[in-house]
Amino acid sequence: MKLRRRLRYIWRIARWETSHTSTSIDRRTLATGLGILVIVGLIATVGLATGLGGVSPSQDIYRVGVDSDSDYYPVVESHTALAAHEPDEAKLEAGEIDALVIDSGQQAAQTQDGELELTAGESGEIELESVSRLTVLHTPTEKGTAAVSTFRIAVEQYNDRLMALEENQTAAYPVIVQLQYLPQQALDGQFETDPAVDDVEDVDGDADEDADDDEAVDDDEADVPVDADEDAEDDEGVDDDEADGAGPELADEEASLADRLFGTGAASGSPAEISPPFPFSSLLLAFVFLIPMNFIIQAYGGSILNERINRRGELLLVAPLSRVDIVAGKTLPYLAVATAAITAISLAVGGGLLSVLAVVPIALAFLTATFVGAMFARSFKELTFVTVTISVLLTTYVFVPAIFTNVTPIALISPLTLVVMDLQGEAIGIGAYVFSTAPFYLGSAILFVLGLGVYREEDMFTQKPVPLKFLDALDSRLYGPKSVAVVSGLMIPFVFVAELLAIAVLFVLPIEVSIPIILVVIAAIEEVAKSIHVYAGFESDRFDRSGRTAVMLGALSGVGFFVAEKFTAITQLVGLPELALGQAVLAPAGVTPTATLALLAAPLVLHVVTAGISALGAKRNLRWYLIALVVATLVHAGYNFAVVSFYG
Amino acid sequence: MAESNDSRLRRWLRSQRLTIAKRELRVLGREKTIVLALVIQLFIAGFSGFLVVGLVSLYDPASVEGLQIEAAVTGGASDEMADAIDEQDSMSATTFEDSTEAFEAFDDGQVQAVFETMIREDRIEVVLTAPEGSLETTLVVAEGQQALRALERTQRLERSAQLSVQPLELPAESGGNPYFDFTYTVLIPLLVFLPVFISGSITVDSITEEIDRGTLELLRVAPISLTEIVDGKALAMIAIAPIQAALWLALLAYNGVAISNPGWLVALASASAVIVVGLAVIVSLLAVDRQPAQLLFAVGVLLLFGAASLLPGSPANTAALLAIGSASLSTYLAVVGMLGVAAVVAVCMRVLTTRVDPSAL
Repeated sequence: MKLRRRLRYIWRIARWETSHTSTSIDRRTLATGLGILVIVGLIATVGLATGLGGVSPSQDIYRVGVDSDSDYYPVVESHTALAAHEPDEAKLEAGEIDALVIDSGQQAAQTQDGELELTAGESGEIELESVSRLTVLHTPTEKGTAAVSTFRIAVEQYNDRLMALEENQTAAYPVIVQLQYLPQQALDGQFETDPAVDDVEDVDGDADEDADDDEAVDDDEADVPVDADEDAEDDEGVDDDEADGAGPELADEEASLADRLFGTGAASGSPAEISPPFPFSSLLLAFVFLIPMNFIIQAYGGSILNERINRRGELLLVAPLSRVDIVAGKTLPYLAVATAAITAISLAVGGGLLSVLAVVPIALAFLTATFVGAMFARSFKELTFVTVTISVLLTTYVFVPAIFTNVTPIALISPLTLVVMDLQGEAIGIGAYVFSTAPFYLGSAILFVLGLGVYREEDMFTQKPVPLKFLDALDSRLYGPKSVAVVSGLMIPFVFVAELLAIAVLFVLPIEVSIPIILVVIAAIEEVAKSIHVYAGFESDRFDRSGRTAVMLGALSGVGFFVAEKFTAITQLVGLPELALGQAVLAPAGVTPTATLALLAAPLVLHVVTAGISALGAKRNLRWYLIALVVATLVHAGYNFAVVSFYG
Repeated sequence: MAESNDSRLRRWLRSQRLTIAKRELRVLGREKTIVLALVIQLFIAGFSGFLVVGLVSLYDPASVEGLQIEAAVTGGASDEMADAIDEQDSMSATTFEDSTEAFEAFDDGQVQAVFETMIREDRIEVVLTAPEGSLETTLVVAEGQQALRALERTQRLERSAQLSVQPLELPAESGGNPYFDFTYTVLIPLLVFLPVFISGSITVDSITEEIDRGTLELLRVAPISLTEIVDGKALAMIAIAPIQAALWLALLAYNGVAISNPGWLVALASASAVIVVGLAVIVSLLAVDRQPAQLLFAVGVLLLFGAASLLPGSPANTAALLAIGSASLSTYLAVVGMLGVAAVVAVCMRVLTTRVDPSAL
């Protein structure tokens, strides 16, 4: 009965929230929007009318000197990143061009880089003529060598186009490749294998299957020799693929990063056609799921902050409703819109229920993070930054691992990987789903609870600095000494996220520098997570500032953190054995499956000792807290070093 | 006498604008939002660096030191295939008598790739087997593809008599980094234009918030006009965008990335800052409510940027050409054109602000 009444309240607030946002767009706003559209349309029309139809950012970035009579002139002309200039050695020396193509001789008996493996019968006859006719000079800079590399790729692509027009396709495409992936036995214990790709087909088997493949293949046989059959998993797609991809597909004109990214991932064809297993199209579709989130959180954050401006939210606060109901009611419409958008996108891109189930926790994370941000922000300006930060961080966090979907199971730390797998038609186990989404559900719940802590008059309508509000939010979750351990444990998902981001960002540095920095950063993150709420508790005078209390709180915090950390490690080991690798990455101070009791106890002692140190500092004041934090971090980092060198 | 009064008045007015601009910047500093903005940009820059390094090492084994892929070759065209493989720097071939042995070696991890070859209908058919679900997969496929293309070239040469057009000879490998352009075509445009976008977004917030909180009401009693307030706010936001861009360029230069035409790049950033902030002012004075204004601004600027990339002097391409040092006369003209557009936008903004009645907002 009580629950029903609460649901009714939540429903009413949700309805109020929707009715009150839908009226805010007036005629003038619409007119402004139309005006912008007209200007954009004009610019686009002019752009299209000039016939360029889109300028790539890499347009003409390398200047190549090439004679307009040369066979290589069309090569340079046809490549986006290359611009043809007059061939002049003086210009090359002056740095006005980056590379110079010197093309001597005609299209006669040319060979490959001057070396040609001659077949026995002809040996000796054309050997003298097998000299290179092409010289490419370049400026002695990185740009010069890069220009030559790009030129080489351009020639390769030009040749591909040339060969596609060739009548004698057997001579033009003398090599046919089929690509297949097999798990290596030595690694079998660690990786889940996909049964679909498992069956080994040797070449003879392929030849047989060619014969009894469907008609589509026969049709193409006449003009296109590219019919090495598809993998077992592609069976349904065979008809389409063969029909569309009739001619050998030309490589993309971009020779840069885009070239690799836009590869279609074909499994068979000429050597130019195969490409590494990069799920580009699925990845792009998965990214579509994230786009509406950015707009939804803007509106949501604005609505929350609106309550806080000019004390507008006071009316709701004094109503006989619990804070949970108010916030739940305000959040519900946005969650509903997000879910509707996700479902629509999923239907549009051909994802299943699983895609929806995988993206909803991401939407939750976006919303709850924005909720906390809007509770902390003091102005709309600040809120804009907060939402941008949330968008950037969450998008990279879910998107980047998904790039490695086909490469390593660690990609599963992002729910978006599930979407990519779903779109590729792969089966996903319940374990994988839980592993990917549980941190998001948990993290969202924790953020929601944190934000609720400051959804009260003294925090909503005052201009307290963000750090103080953050401490308030933490403090409102503390009840007694035991809750310190609980909060420490709840920090774990955020600690993992922060550590992963740190690893990703520091990855660029050379490994001798990055490993020590990462170990220190990880230590610092964990120490902050273990002590910040202890400090919040002392600051709000929740705990008495005695040494005994500090030591006790520190110990509790350390134990809570340790238990939660090991709990996640254990669930990983039990639930997903193939993720042993990921666990090794995530928990540098953690256990390996073979660890002894002594090794298990060492991190416990460490966490208790370091949390104790920082708690002792926290009981004095901010300065002492920071000093103690540095000391604790150093101790922790020292321990990490010891562990790493012990295992290394 | 009248003139000196006039000029004094003008100076006084100008200082009013500066006061507003300074206050605006001070608020940004106090709220630490600008710090957050810099952190976001640093994060994006760091992350794109991570992505480039990651992608390069995924696709370009030469950049991963000491990595050597062992390949097993079997079947009818083993010799040709093995030769092509051995041409590659980071791949070496072992010939096996039959497939079973090759796959045993693959299973044991002695080789990372198996090339099964056969000659059929005057062609070489190859089945390339790469390890599944391992970090090496992409490397193996990328390198294997290089070897197969080398094989294709030699085979084409042998069949050159049957070809009506001869493929062109490839230049020798220069060892150049194929990702060299990424810094210039992606990172630098991003770092030049992102601060501009952020500036515009702050402008929208700053103006709509004054309206929303009713602080513009105080204008009626203050000796300052709406034009001055808007000017001051816009001035502050326009100023910080090129400064940030210049900082990023300096940071990149410090990290050993050669950057040409820094002055022109800053000019480009300033011109686009005027355009984008001008648009922000116009949007927020017309669509007074913050949420629709912010949405309109974000979508509008993205569309504008997209439409502008269809033009010959596309902003991203112009920034790339300037930074990499391949700028031609038309590139400089594009910057001058942008400055012209900026002037037009500034005039539009001024006309609109003088016409808006502050008490009606």
